Amino acid sequence: MSGWVRWFRGAGRRFGTVAGLMVLCAILWTLTPHFLTVGNALNVMEQTSINAIVAVGMTYVIISGGIDLSVGSLLAFSGIVLAEGLKAGWGTPLAIAAALFVGAVTGVANGAGIAFGRLPPFIMTLGMMSVARGAALLVTDGRPVSGFSPGFRSLATGQALGVPSPIIFTLAMYAGAHLVLSRTRFGRYVYGIGGNEEATRLSGVAVRFHKTMVYGVSGLASAVAALLLTARLNTAQPIAGINYELDAIAATVIGGTSLSGGEGSLGGTLVGALTMGVLRNGLNLLGVSSFLQQLVIGVVIIGAVLTDALFKEKRP
Amino acid sequence: MRPRRRQLVRWVIALVMCTALVACNRGGAGGSAPRIALVLKTLNSPFFNDMQRGAQAAATRLGVELVVQAAEREIDVERQMQIVENLIQSGVNAICLTPSGSKEVVPAVVKANRANIPVIIVDTRLDRAAADEAGAKIGSFTGSDNYEGGRLAAQFVVNQSKGQANVGVLEGIPGHETGDSRLRGFREGIAATPGVRVVASQPGNWERDQGFNVFQNMLQAHPEIDTVFACNDVMALGAVEAIRAAGRTGAIRVVGFDAIDDARKAMADGSMAASVAQFPEEMGRIAVENAVHAVRGEAVPPEVKVRIELVTKDNLTAR
Repeated sequence: MSGWVRWFRGAGRRFGTVAGLMVLCAILWTLTPHFLTVGNALNVMEQTSINAIVAVGMTYVIISGGIDLSVGSLLAFSGIVLAEGLKAGWGTPLAIAAALFVGAVTGVANGAGIAFGRLPPFIMTLGMMSVARGAALLVTDGRPVSGFSPGFRSLATGQALGVPSPIIFTLAMYAGAHLVLSRTRFGRYVYGIGGNEEATRLSGVAVRFHKTMVYGVSGLASAVAALLLTARLNTAQPIAGINYELDAIAATVIGGTSLSGGEGSLGGTLVGALTMGVLRNGLNLLGVSSFLQQLVIGVVIIGAVLTDALFKEKRP
Repeated sequence: MRPRRRQLVRWVIALVMCTALVACNRGGAGGSAPRIALVLKTLNSPFFNDMQRGAQAAATRLGVELVVQAAEREIDVERQMQIVENLIQSGVNAICLTPSGSKEVVPAVVKANRANIPVIIVDTRLDRAAADEAGAKIGSFTGSDNYEGGRLAAQFVVNQSKGQANVGVLEGIPGHETGDSRLRGFREGIAATPGVRVVASQPGNWERDQGFNVFQNMLQAHPEIDTVFACNDVMALGAVEAIRAAGRTGAIRVVGFDAIDDARKAMADGSMAASVAQFPEEMGRIAVENAVHAVRGEAVPPEVKVRIELVTKDNLTAR
């Protein structure tokens, strides 16, 4: 291998997703003068925040070797709990706490079914997807709940130093979740369970307990996303979040997390979510037809994972 | 140190090449004709395709550029909001918007207001309370009188059934102003005739396959149903299929809304009885015209009601 090729591989492996995002930004910058402005940069990050936050939980789950299809429905259900709480006059802090609690508990229920009930994650969360959606529709009779106080809405509409609050939320969430994943025992167990569950169990780790908690994290992340979405639209919809699981999975795998578990990082996921956000934003700015947009996004997902695989040196 | 320095040089070369590539391509901004955006609920519906056609024709005639965008799914309000935000960033001069949710898009309208971009609402009204509360201002509303359309459909059912009907209703997505108005018009239109009663009413979410499934289930639970009122033709056509699957074609009167081409064909072959025609092409045309007026600072009527009419086999004309 010549020096250039080796260098290219090394750089690709370490910075592949970031480089991809930068190339994408460069292309869009050449194509439209509206792309690279401070206003649009903040706009993209704000739009990405909800998918990015859902993808935090998805990254935990996928690193642990599982999958969570219920995130979109959990988002809708937590949003409805939040909205009904606000409407019933519980006060903003209590309503938020209730929504987060419901999200986490439902996630833990997912985890318990998977870890203790030995259900495949795909099946358990597929079932929960329907249960949570049904519950949200049932509680609201299918109607959106709307009209909240300016104080609550400032969760999504406020800013600090010119930065919209959803961006601050997202960064804080990533910082916290990254520390947990990279610096704590729980984080190491998540990688361990995904890499080799049997070996992790044999080395004395309470695998089932930690697995359950991983899905709790995912449910909690969905509930946090629900806070932002509800504040942003000033409405909680029982049909919110449909297909969000697919966006979150896409962000996670574009970010280099392996679907077979044991490998991945939150930094990568954030870049993956931004890539999708930038792509959608750029294609809108260019006035590209929405049919073509879907096609392009699909190609980018496949391309990103393919490139990632090519950069990874083959293991024996 | 040498290998490391060589690596550094490679990074620098790569970076410079990328920058050069980008810088060379940097073109100037486009022409100076006003850009008008049309944000549709979806592009997968003949109704909105017609609206797009009317808007495009008006844009061509007036010499403005038309940008048409829609979310992948009609129910994805958050995505519609993102599209509006992105259009604001792209510096369009006016936005014609068919709200995916009457309350949910209010924040997007407020953002356009802040950017001084006039917003023309088409087809579905904003929720008045939500708009007032958020201080959202719209340039104009263009749409059918859906309430009156619902009453027209009710009138037809009352007349045709001679005052005796068991009606199954397929609703749109709950909370959508258009569907709610049609439903209200229909219910109030049959209220004076006690023999015409709604025995089942469920949302089919505007979609054909849901119209099929929901109506199939309705027929199971209520075999006495002899009339369907669907809040749009797409769901009505779903019901037509469900009726065919049950082998009861001709025994159940299907009344839809929109009079799209497929519904007109169904009326011609007798599988549908009537539909309330809207004129989406006209809506698109008027919306773009009003958007151009607003961009030029001219007066815009606050509300334009586009005509509606009941289409049956008798006044069916190919378009």
